[in-house]
Amino acid sequence: MKYFLITIIFLFSFETFADDKINSKVIEISKNLRCLVCQGQSINDSDSDFALDVKKLVKKNLEEGKTDKEIYSYLKLKYGDWILYKTPFNLRTILLWLLPIIIILFGMKLIFRRTKFE
Amino acid sequence: MTNIIGNLLIFFSLSSSFASVYFYFKKKFSLFLKSYLLSCLLCFSSFLFLIYCFVISDFSISAVYQNSHSTKPLIYKIAGSWGNHEGSMLLFVCIIAIYGSLFFYSSKNIETNFRNLTIFFQNILKIIFLLYLFFLSNPFDYIFSNPTEGLGLNPILQDPLLLIHPPFLYFGYIGFSLVLSLVLSGLIKNFFDKEWASLSKNWVIVSWVFLTIGILLGSIWAYYELGWGGYWFWDPVENASLMPWILSVALIHSMLIMEKNNTFKSWTALLAIFTFSLSLFGTFLVRSGILNSVHTFANDPERGLFILGIIIFIIFFSLLIFILKTNFTDEKKNVVFLSKENFLMYNNLFLIFFLLVVIIGTLYPIVLATFSNENISVGPFYYNTILAPFVFIFLFLMGTGPMMKWYKNEFKSKVSLIVSAGLISLILVLVSSYIPKKINIIYVLGLFFSFYLISATIYEIALCNTLIKIKQNLGRNLSHLGFGLLIMSITLNSFFSKEYNFMINLNEKFTSDDIEILFEDFKITKQSNFDQFSTKFKISKDKETIILRPSIRKYNQPEQLTSEISIKNTLLKDFYLAINYSSIGERRLIGARYYENFFILGIWISSLIIIFGGVSRLVFRK
Repeated sequence: MKYFLITIIFLFSFETFADDKINSKVIEISKNLRCLVCQGQSINDSDSDFALDVKKLVKKNLEEGKTDKEIYSYLKLKYGDWILYKTPFNLRTILLWLLPIIIILFGMKLIFRRTKFE
Repeated sequence: MTNIIGNLLIFFSLSSSFASVYFYFKKKFSLFLKSYLLSCLLCFSSFLFLIYCFVISDFSISAVYQNSHSTKPLIYKIAGSWGNHEGSMLLFVCIIAIYGSLFFYSSKNIETNFRNLTIFFQNILKIIFLLYLFFLSNPFDYIFSNPTEGLGLNPILQDPLLLIHPPFLYFGYIGFSLVLSLVLSGLIKNFFDKEWASLSKNWVIVSWVFLTIGILLGSIWAYYELGWGGYWFWDPVENASLMPWILSVALIHSMLIMEKNNTFKSWTALLAIFTFSLSLFGTFLVRSGILNSVHTFANDPERGLFILGIIIFIIFFSLLIFILKTNFTDEKKNVVFLSKENFLMYNNLFLIFFLLVVIIGTLYPIVLATFSNENISVGPFYYNTILAPFVFIFLFLMGTGPMMKWYKNEFKSKVSLIVSAGLISLILVLVSSYIPKKINIIYVLGLFFSFYLISATIYEIALCNTLIKIKQNLGRNLSHLGFGLLIMSITLNSFFSKEYNFMINLNEKFTSDDIEILFEDFKITKQSNFDQFSTKFKISKDKETIILRPSIRKYNQPEQLTSEISIKNTLLKDFYLAINYSSIGERRLIGARYYENFFILGIWISSLIIIFGGVSRLVFRK
């Protein structure tokens, strides 16, 4: 029943206020969200009830004039960091972002040590 | 009865492998080789026998019962034999044996001690995996209840590509087992030098070609099977195949230095050891189910742990030999700034960097979850952000490196060439930035550096004035050219492609921007192993009309719905429509996703050019 309602709302929402800009924004945002009930799929790629719910929610929020940031932080609050494919930069992910940079700098230093400049 | 034959074949293959080890230590080398070949032959036979069991639908065999069905088309009966854990492990062992036998037949005039020890190690690897297979994932396990019908094959796997994608991938992964054996025996027999490098490089390239084809086929398959419009998803299992690929590219390039001047030996040995370890690691990740992936169709955590044990054993043993047998003194030599070796070193640095980014991105969430109970997700955003700037520099180095000279810095004499390639790229970028309404920095830089690599490589090709030179450099030039075209196509694809999601009813229209999509018709048909709900959509854009016919299949064994997309390829872009099954029923409401994917053909063709590069290196080897 719930699903039936969603599809109806979805159908009408596209017919009545088909707004291309908002639709492409929904796609952009839902590509950065993990479908929590699927195996390694983004919300955008999934057709599960959960994904449709989230897409609807994102769309509603955009129509109300919320920014991307507000939407992401709302979803984060509700479902945790697990839902964000757009991995944030914070204390927990600091190594994720910085480790590669440290590695390449270290590697360059190693190569430099073995280079003779003529 | 069949299970006894299968088990006996595996058992005798194991026995003759053990006999071969015995004869090696007794220094009876002729018997050693004969029993090794016999064990390989028995191993192939057991695999052929498994295929036979699948073909005749012998459901007393557990692997057949669980993954096959009598009504399935013949090709899926055959391919089904490796579309499951046990069968794919048997294929795995078989390919170890194939590489061992191929080495045996192609190495008759190389140093005997080295050759025998290489085959000995190849035999040991075969024994390890055959033992694992025999005791823990036996494809010939018997079912006592004697079922009359099988459970069927996962419908997503019922695709012609199942016939070729896994074997190619395995021929890639497992080729590196031979490279590992070559390294270990080279180190022990003091044969680890220039000559070793030029001999072993061919095997690395063979495996690399197979692996590249395997990855390409997987990407094509994902593109049309998953219905998400993309060709690469940074899925953990895709990453698992990318990791040994990156490392093998680094290995090929470090072998170039070793082949030229007998340095970089311990580095090359390490790369070879880890290339095979990462190939195994890929298998472990797929099988273990510890990762959240779209590929979770064949896994079992417990057996995954055993594979992890095997990997750790192989790495430990190889590193032990490496430490005991490497003479590190040759590594002290310095390299001239901006010489060819110097560029090759940067090649290795960047490739290792790319590899570590993939490893960190794949493993970081698991490690974090283990230590802090915090779950985070790492996806395309992370990889694209971190990799893009370094890929651009890499493209520049890749275009410039081949112009350089061995041992000396002659950068100055090439400056005019570099600048003119840069200018050509700049003009091309200006032209291609004029077409879209708005552009971004990634688009400009991505195009500029791939144009640079393409034009620099074309210069290189033009500079080859004799036929011999053309042949000698063809491998490198094609692969580099293909890589430039690949990055160009990827950049254009990600920038221009469009996507629309909508719900639609029969005879309704969806309009957006300048396109109009009409759901015109549908029909239901019956096939032997599925029922099909086919639709007809009419897509109109700029007075141009195309018809796409995506469908939904209901497979009967096992009962499962799949969505079959419809694509119309053109040179410039693909029109791609997928419908989903969640909303059909009495109301005939369809969820649809429509994509316009640009330069997909470019991505496939440039990958093919990269592969041709590898092949031509093998054909025109010195």
